[in-house]
Amino acid sequence: MSEAAPFRILGIETSCDETAAAVVANGGDVLSSVVSSQVDLHSRFGGVVPELASRAHVDLLPHVVAQTMLEAGLDAGVDAVAATVGPGLVGSLLVGVSAAKAMALVWDVPFVGVNHLEAHLYGAFLEEPDLELPMVVLLVSGGHTMLVLMEDHGRYRLLGQTIDDAAGEAFDKVARYLGLGYPGGPAIDSLAMEGDPTAVAFPRSLLGEGHDFSFSGLKTSVITHARKHPDVAVADVAASFQEAVVDVLVTKARIAAKETGARGLCLAGGVAANSALRERILDACIADGLRAFLPSRAMCTDNAAMVAAAAWWRLRSDGPTGLDAGANPNLRLA
Amino acid sequence: MIILGVETATTQVGCAIGGAEGVLASFNANRGRRHAETITPAIEFVCKQARVEMKEISAVAVDIGPGLFTGLRVGIATAKAIAQALRVPMIGLSSLDLLAFPVRYSNRLIVPVIDARRGEVFTAFYRQVPGGVQRESPFAVMTPDDLASELMARTNDHLLVGDGAMRYASTFSAVGGVELGTAGSAFPSPAALVELAHPRAIREEFVQPWELVPLYLRRSDAEINWDARESA
Ligand SMILES: [Zn+2]
Repeated sequence: MSEAAPFRILGIETSCDETAAAVVANGGDVLSSVVSSQVDLHSRFGGVVPELASRAHVDLLPHVVAQTMLEAGLDAGVDAVAATVGPGLVGSLLVGVSAAKAMALVWDVPFVGVNHLEAHLYGAFLEEPDLELPMVVLLVSGGHTMLVLMEDHGRYRLLGQTIDDAAGEAFDKVARYLGLGYPGGPAIDSLAMEGDPTAVAFPRSLLGEGHDFSFSGLKTSVITHARKHPDVAVADVAASFQEAVVDVLVTKARIAAKETGARGLCLAGGVAANSALRERILDACIADGLRAFLPSRAMCTDNAAMVAAAAWWRLRSDGPTGLDAGANPNLRLA
Repeated sequence: MIILGVETATTQVGCAIGGAEGVLASFNANRGRRHAETITPAIEFVCKQARVEMKEISAVAVDIGPGLFTGLRVGIATAKAIAQALRVPMIGLSSLDLLAFPVRYSNRLIVPVIDARRGEVFTAFYRQVPGGVQRESPFAVMTPDDLASELMARTNDHLLVGDGAMRYASTFSAVGGVELGTAGSAFPSPAALVELAHPRAIREEFVQPWELVPLYLRRSDAEINWDARESA
């Protein structure tokens, strides 16, 4: 192998309801990335059913890996295999971790266990390799809502997080109550465009009180309001709810960036696909003189390219993970 | 023809390697670390002990269940990935087959019983045939009491083996003509997996990694509750 040969990592992501695999060269060059969503499988239940997710991962992963290797033009293996080890649903995580370790054993290459939250941060670097640090990352999805200061590669400070529901969870629950289906994020996003965001003044929990978030009270007041006013326009409720969520997220992200002296603000996670949030973050960054990074919608949702990218940095700083590694559903970032 | 067997359907985690000359090395552990943490190093260990290189493996056999869902999937995901990475085919065998096969020298009907938790067991009836055992009832999930009634209704003598037989020993030993297996036959044998897979491999009765499906025998709670609500 010549010195210039690229170092290719196969990444595997099965922490929730996306079965994904990708091959990334040298931590930044995405050779292939395949995501198989299980949304249809879980929609009738209004949320992810852990046992169904785990079953689907077992069935789908061989197809997804085969497709990824084919698209990357590889057949004789890779230089390392990585998988998300946490946080996430334990049964789902174990499918990806088991498969990745087995492949690493067969190909006699390093295995790298990756933190899903760190992977989301590296998703940003895949699309924008020249991101300036330190930056504040607003990571919002169905499972997480957190503000993280990324000081350097592998150096993070958790500034704040939700004390109850994740933002994406609130979207799902409100959408379900309003009869908009699952997943709730895209449904509310599109309906809100036809509604008046000032129609109902929903509460902005914990605004002005540190970096933590709370969305449980907001969800309850939306449901209470809709119950009391059955003839109210659903689009107005959706728009007003979304406005309340976005207001809190953007305000807190701005304060965090200011307090930490960050150079930029970065969005990550499934809720980062929300149009109103993207627009407001962009406006805020322009007003505050910050670099804004808004990932593509494909990068917002869980994928394995970000896992392989994070693994490249982890492998260089910490070396391989042992083949006796398991999953850690409660893994933390910092 | 070298076959790797992976078995994680119950609280035991195990693997074995072998072929035409029989089982070359096998490993099993019933307590200690979790399945996912144990199985990959264990596979590395048996290969090393048997002086087999991974690339010499020509088929991967796996216990497809029934069993405990999370552990079962660890073995199946591991086995599929090994087969896929090696580009070799797979052979899936039931945990109940692996319990029945090692006790085939008994002249009783063999009834492997796996603890399915929640007050239920996975089971099936087997009889001896030349060279092995043959299942003569469908795979089933039922309460120990229902299995005891079924045993009572039959005239044969039965040998019950497996962790379910041991857990509900008092229920089953009350039935006439029942003998209970000991701890040594309580878990599916990874060595039996390799031994049973070998003739199938010779006959090329293979499945591909993407075709192999686990035998759960029980749906998820969410689906069961959904149907209950729909029919209410
Ligand atoms: Zn995620």
